[in-house]
Amino acid sequence: KKKRGNGRRKGASKEAGEGEEEMQVRPEKRERGKRRRAKNDQEAKGRERDEEEQTKIKSAKTTKTRKKEKSRKTEEEEGEGESEERNTKRKKKHGSAKKEEKEEDGGKQVRPESLSPEELEKLKEAVDERKKLIQGLRGKPWPMKKKLVTLRESQEFVEKYEGALGKGKGRKLYAYKVMMTKKWMKFQRDFENFKTACIPWEMKIKEIESHFGSSVASYFIFLRWMYGINMILFGLTFGLVMVPEALMGRPYGSIPRKTVPRAEEASAMDFAVLWDWGGYAQYSVLFYGYYNSQRAIGWLKFRMPLSYFLVGVGTVAYSYMVVIRTMARNANESGVGDDNSFNFSWKMFTSWDYLIGNPETADNKFASITTSFKEAILEEQESRKDDNIHLTRFLRVLANFLVLCCLAGSGYLIYFVVRRSQKFALDGLENHTWWERNEVNMVMSLLGMFCPMLFDVISTLENYHPRVALQWQLGRIFALFLGNLYTFIIALMDEINLKREEEKIIKFNITMWEASLYNSTVSENSTAPPVTIHPADVPRGPCWETMVGQEFVRLIISDTMTTYITLLIGDFLRAVLVRFLNYCWCWDLEAGFPSYSEFDVSGNVLGLIFNQGMIWMGAFYAPCLPALNVLRLHVSMYLQCWAVMCCNVPQERVFKASGSNNFYMAMLLVILFLSTLPAIYTIVTIPPSFDCGPFSGKKRMFDVIHETLESDFPAWFSKVFSYASNPGLVLPFILLMVLAIYYFTLAWIHSQKPLCFLFVCPKRGKQEEEQTSSTEGTNGSRGGQKSSLTGCRATKQQCFITGGRE
Amino acid sequence: IPEMVSPAIALAFLPLLLTLIIRYRYYFVLFYRAILVRIWKDCVTGLTREERAYQYILTHATPGDPDSILDAFDVWCSKVEFISNIGPKKGKILDRLLMEQSPLTVLELGTHCGYSTVRIARALPLGARLYSVEMDQRNAAIAEKIIRLAGFDDDMVELIVNPSDEVIPRLRSDYGLERLDFVFMDHWKKSYCPDLQMLEGSGLLGKGSMIVADNVLFPGAPKFLRHIRKSGLYEWKIHRATLEYSKGIRDGMAELVYQGIK
Repeated sequence: KKKRGNGRRKGASKEAGEGEEEMQVRPEKRERGKRRRAKNDQEAKGRERDEEEQTKIKSAKTTKTRKKEKSRKTEEEEGEGESEERNTKRKKKHGSAKKEEKEEDGGKQVRPESLSPEELEKLKEAVDERKKLIQGLRGKPWPMKKKLVTLRESQEFVEKYEGALGKGKGRKLYAYKVMMTKKWMKFQRDFENFKTACIPWEMKIKEIESHFGSSVASYFIFLRWMYGINMILFGLTFGLVMVPEALMGRPYGSIPRKTVPRAEEASAMDFAVLWDWGGYAQYSVLFYGYYNSQRAIGWLKFRMPLSYFLVGVGTVAYSYMVVIRTMARNANESGVGDDNSFNFSWKMFTSWDYLIGNPETADNKFASITTSFKEAILEEQESRKDDNIHLTRFLRVLANFLVLCCLAGSGYLIYFVVRRSQKFALDGLENHTWWERNEVNMVMSLLGMFCPMLFDVISTLENYHPRVALQWQLGRIFALFLGNLYTFIIALMDEINLKREEEKIIKFNITMWEASLYNSTVSENSTAPPVTIHPADVPRGPCWETMVGQEFVRLIISDTMTTYITLLIGDFLRAVLVRFLNYCWCWDLEAGFPSYSEFDVSGNVLGLIFNQGMIWMGAFYAPCLPALNVLRLHVSMYLQCWAVMCCNVPQERVFKASGSNNFYMAMLLVILFLSTLPAIYTIVTIPPSFDCGPFSGKKRMFDVIHETLESDFPAWFSKVFSYASNPGLVLPFILLMVLAIYYFTLAWIHSQKPLCFLFVCPKRGKQEEEQTSSTEGTNGSRGGQKSSLTGCRATKQQCFITGGRE
Repeated sequence: IPEMVSPAIALAFLPLLLTLIIRYRYYFVLFYRAILVRIWKDCVTGLTREERAYQYILTHATPGDPDSILDAFDVWCSKVEFISNIGPKKGKILDRLLMEQSPLTVLELGTHCGYSTVRIARALPLGARLYSVEMDQRNAAIAEKIIRLAGFDDDMVELIVNPSDEVIPRLRSDYGLERLDFVFMDHWKKSYCPDLQMLEGSGLLGKGSMIVADNVLFPGAPKFLRHIRKSGLYEWKIHRATLEYSKGIRDGMAELVYQGIK
């Protein structure tokens, strides 16, 4: 009885374990599988099934007797030990199943059984067999048809007899358990699908990837990543700055900085003014100037100025962290790139992009691989000849010279326009046309749009591999955009200085005005109530911070507009014309001259990066910028996805974008640094306006930290802080940090080295062996080669040793 | 005074202009050579372009030598003026196809001034016959002269002066043709598709008949390409090359092998 119980228990545990089972009995199963396979080949199917069952039961019996000898404890330990190896989910499942099974076991032991125990055990073993068969079916070297038939039969068998193993209450419980297991597995599968479906735009991007290859998809992945970052920036500014000020701060119209001045009141709601971000838009939470310098607002005692400052710093710090973290993660993924040696092998075995799912793109890829082979062969021939190298070099130098000329020209044009706009500003903007007022933005957008095209044309001179060409192109556009952006910032700086001088005069005037007001009230009638002046009438300073914010918002808007209009005209309109004029045109528009446009990866990536740079730069002075950017990214995700699928054709030379992600990230990091530079410079060096913004009345913006430390923290804390900020402590700390960075860099380099050697050494060794074998007769440089070879081997050994030690 | 766009904004369009000029330079060159120069010379000499070409060939080529005539043509077309012959590069492909096929009955649509006719006739095996169709009377006269100059007689090359859509239905009745082994199309790009359909309908194409069509990408014959894609009657491929006597304009030559209805 006990033995049987044991056996039953084992059987039950096997059934419950299902998946877990497989490993335990693998050797036996393999044996049996072999036997069965041999038989299967000989016999007909119908007869085979019966016999198979018998043999199975027999063999199972033998194994069972073997197994019976083991104690229950060891068995359980085994099970547990193995379950540890699997992932946690399944372990959990396993555990729960075991528990249930124990309960069932307890229930069964007291009940009588109608089926004879031998039969029952046979049946159980047969069912187990079937299950194992189902699981191992995938690895069997059978034809698919046979597999399918076997699978169906086994499943039917299991379905039929599985329920018969238990009885009464236990049977129901067992059926329930089996059902639940199946449901759970299905749920897990569905959940996985759901998780994939939850990644935003995943399907869209996959579709694009299948049509256009991974280089275009990498742009969209980058866009999605950027969207995520901006969502967080938006959450920070919106939740901690804009909403508290709007809800708990003083309402609109209560103080001068929150009121539209009297002179502008008439036109403050005009669309033209609002479109320029003046009027009511300027005097709202969207811009720096609206915020009050009150230390704590509302019943929460929310420290508004502190929060404003910390959010400004926090967004930048967060961005740094995220970019660097992503870079580090990507760096681990990218292998050791080596495009130069084994050129043909690389081409042969790795040129296909397996993500392509569109016949047209596949055709293009096929053609491009063929041409790349042809080109590589030609290149090889030419490198053997190497007489053309001078021409190539000359062309490359020429191309760079042309690009430099172009950059200088565009820089000068922007400089000229900015100077002119300053002149206009001095004259008064009202006297000038719309074109003249928006000249700077227009010229910047147009240059940013057209110069890359010119670079692209020039780069055909250079004859680089498309991946290299893309990087050159990116670098050039980067330089162009950077030049444009910095010219713009320099112009802004000039304007800030102008405003600050204006502010000084106004400040003086205000004191005079206040004094006169005071005097008049005093002289007229001392008992009369003090005159209340409507906040709209109070004279006020120019508030350079809001001006900076407005400029950035305008720039972003005009940039977005240019992007969308280019998209609509350059891509959509062109595609429509090409498509429908082709019916009645004298040449083939689709295959010939205008054709459809290709998706411009480099331009779009850089547009995105610089847009982000402007957000980082301007977000401190215009808290609405992240919100605007989220909106923009959201729209451009849909618009560009649509445009790329609707009006673009796959690139003629489709190439894989592996490793380009980190290139984008590196550029983003550079831009992040370059854009925080001016922002931090203004924050640190220029005193805030005296009558607007959260830091009004302070000498510097960061004084808010000092103030908080003094008034909100206990005295000892500020004391500790003052000690900690003592240069005597800060300098050693910085030194320590530098040393730590140095240490980690060295450690990283050392850990990287063995890997490098593993890649390089066999290769170099082989090459040198080839060389030695080819130059067998001439013994001139043989000694040197040999020594280098042995040297290489020695280093290889060494690196193995170090690797082992590590 | 109308509102002026500021000069700086106009200057910002300069890169676009440069880009367009550089990118489409071959098209501008082609426009200049094929149209402007032609009009100018027409006015100055009072002769047609084809007559001028003939004069040049008369003075620069050896009579009876097709190769030298072709060379003279190539020189004139690339150095002096532009005529859209098949050109030397695509001509080589054509030669190869003819060598492989060695057809006995060849139909050429669009003789123009006989360059391709000479080229095909040169590559034909003994006893083969070439029917060349030209619509324009004056061109045909010049082509006749050039073909005879190259040394091909009436038995080998027969020039038919008629529009192709009139000639094709009468090929069987008037010229006693049973089957066409090779068809070369280089006439009006718009007539590629209807002429091909007419050929299919006439029953002159047999299994293995080859049809070669020039300039399917530039100026291009999209309807023709669509038809061959859809009909399923052909095994086809496009030889990609550049436009004759020009480096940067991409063009293609379609090679079709008639498979018949399966």
